[in-house]
Amino acid sequence: MRISAFALAFTLPICAHAQDRGPILANTVESHILPGYAALADATGALKQAARADCDPNSAQLREAYNTAFDDWISVSHLRFGPSEAEDRAFALAFWPDSKGFTPKALSRLITDEDSAVQTSNSFAETSVAGRGFFALELMLYDPRFSDQGSAEYRCALIQAIAADIDGNARAIGTDWSDYAAVLTNPGGGSPYRSEDEAMQELYKALMTGLEFTAETRLGRPMGTFDRPRPKRAEARRSDRSLRHVELSLISLRDLAARLSAEHPEIAADLDSAFSSAIDRAQALEDPAFADVATPQGRFRVEALQQSINDIRTIGATELGPTLGISAGFNSLDGD
Amino acid sequence: MTKFFAATSALTLGIASAAFAADAPSKADVLTTYANIAEAKYDDSLIAAKSLQAAVNALIADPSDATLNAARAAWIAARVPYQQTEVYRFGNAIVDDWEGKVNAWPLDEGLIDYVDANYGGPTDENEFAALNVIANPSFELSGATIDASEITPELLGETLHEADGIEANVATGYHAIEFLLWGQDMNGHGAGAGNRPYTDYVQGDGCTGGNCDRRAQYLSAATELLVSDLEWMASQWAEGGEARAALNANEAAGVSAILTGMGSLSYGEQAGERMRLGLMLNDPEEEHDCFSDNTHNSHYYDGLGIQNVYLGSYTRIDGTPVSGASLSDLVIATDPSLDAEMKVKLANTMQALGRLKSTAEAGFAYDQMLERGNEGGEVLIMGGVDGLVDQTKTIERIVAALKLDQIEFEGSDSLDNPDAVFQ
Repeated sequence: MRISAFALAFTLPICAHAQDRGPILANTVESHILPGYAALADATGALKQAARADCDPNSAQLREAYNTAFDDWISVSHLRFGPSEAEDRAFALAFWPDSKGFTPKALSRLITDEDSAVQTSNSFAETSVAGRGFFALELMLYDPRFSDQGSAEYRCALIQAIAADIDGNARAIGTDWSDYAAVLTNPGGGSPYRSEDEAMQELYKALMTGLEFTAETRLGRPMGTFDRPRPKRAEARRSDRSLRHVELSLISLRDLAARLSAEHPEIAADLDSAFSSAIDRAQALEDPAFADVATPQGRFRVEALQQSINDIRTIGATELGPTLGISAGFNSLDGD
Repeated sequence: MTKFFAATSALTLGIASAAFAADAPSKADVLTTYANIAEAKYDDSLIAAKSLQAAVNALIADPSDATLNAARAAWIAARVPYQQTEVYRFGNAIVDDWEGKVNAWPLDEGLIDYVDANYGGPTDENEFAALNVIANPSFELSGATIDASEITPELLGETLHEADGIEANVATGYHAIEFLLWGQDMNGHGAGAGNRPYTDYVQGDGCTGGNCDRRAQYLSAATELLVSDLEWMASQWAEGGEARAALNANEAAGVSAILTGMGSLSYGEQAGERMRLGLMLNDPEEEHDCFSDNTHNSHYYDGLGIQNVYLGSYTRIDGTPVSGASLSDLVIATDPSLDAEMKVKLANTMQALGRLKSTAEAGFAYDQMLERGNEGGEVLIMGGVDGLVDQTKTIERIVAALKLDQIEFEGSDSLDNPDAVFQ
């Protein structure tokens, strides 16, 4: 009895240390990351074509293509490392939150100056990230302030330039992933990941940061404080997409969490049931742009949704991380 | 013989590694050095702020180009020790909760004083972005009428700062004072800082910008508040102070706090929010010290603070060295190659930030570097960003090597205390 206890004590850390993370890394790349970016590139290609065919902000085809592509971006938007960070691509696809109103300022400046940067993709890629991507296009398509600024010709060229730039960035990320897949799944050597632990930490960090962003930023910003709710701070509220982003991100993070916890069925079950309650709560809300946070009842419902996401974060931090033997490390939300 | 030799080698190795382990400093000693350096840095910041206060008083008593320039020089000098304290922010709640009073940024400066017509008025995010308290002795705030007939430290700290819950309403601290000394930088991407004339402080005839008496009151009150806030923080790090006590409450958590401060400042704050964002936006206002064009120094001394905390060695503004057992010593005892990696990366970052600083001092200002299509500027700024991002990776490796992995989750309100979000 004593011997087996000793043997167990001796064996456990070695087992824990020697966790083979290869299958999880490969599975996550092949079944979560690559398909997500492939879908995004298809959708942004369609968006670029739609803008080229009809740049009228009210065009049903253009708006549909926009919404589909934005959906596909939100579903991969937690993967903030490697190809998405090269050349500021993720920032150029989605510059938000925008607490100082850089996006309307950047767009107004382009329109007022009739900036010729819209004429080529290279020169447009040099302009401020605030005037590019899904949030800039949202203002051009849905904000009345931009429906009659400057000339119709320039607005059309700008909408087409933003759509083409979105497609360029989405494709570049997808293309880079064909090489980066090997970097993440074969750590050591020339890879920036020194070990499978570090590669795993990257994915775990994506899960935890994604949850943090959805709870603290997507929900926390419009919630403001009880005395001073801030409905105008809701993400993509002009296109009524705020709640949709919460739901899409949870669905995608649930998929990632399931893959990362695949070898620990109990934790996987805990996570899955926590995701299920959070997604149910999100789907039960009938407040697409979080306008109701201004009322006590509406705020209470959003707060309950936030709490259910925080429950997932607790399981991730106290069960999944320690069991995998990794921590979330530092992320871009660490500053103030 | 062979056997004997092998046994001896094994024995020697055993002794050597035992001796090696004995060289590891205690965590308590490492924390003591860390706290001593904090005390020295905040004390230096206080001393420099008092010099700034003396220079501000001289400016108000006798406004001239000479007294204004002396006050500006004192402000620049005061930033040197203060920026080196920023590495204490994210790891120590007592610092982070307080920091907004002294170094909040970015700010909607129209809250404080007159601004150029192009600045615009109230925004979606901030109704008070153009309040101009210096010109308005009375105004409405969240349904109440505020009596601002006298501008006091209390008015600034308790009513105006973060008015309406908006962080961009910065009424106090270094950057409010910076704005009052330099004014808006109207040079866009061109060379040159803000150019507020000394006559903005001339009383009676000759006053420019209007309300020179209230402007002087504001500057005096903001400087007084800066001094008292720094006095408070320095005392928290002194023997028996609360910051020291919190740090020492749990040794492993204390060491983790050092690394959290280093990593969070390196990555999310400095590399991300302060450097890369400005470059991506090509906005000349997106620089940390935008009125004075002192951003290159602000970045440099932030980086230096991270490095000297790791090495456990700081040189005070009067030249006195403060050093002792360091985090570096602790890492050497666990994994010497990881310590070497950390030292190289910190040195690389300092070289990149030094390049930024020397180039700016040679006349290529930070706001010029931010201009769209300015490739030289982009390379300089991204050099700093890349160094900071790269060093963060090694800081994470140290967290893992010292087995501090799970500690950072302590102290996170939303995770440890789910009810907190309802409060």
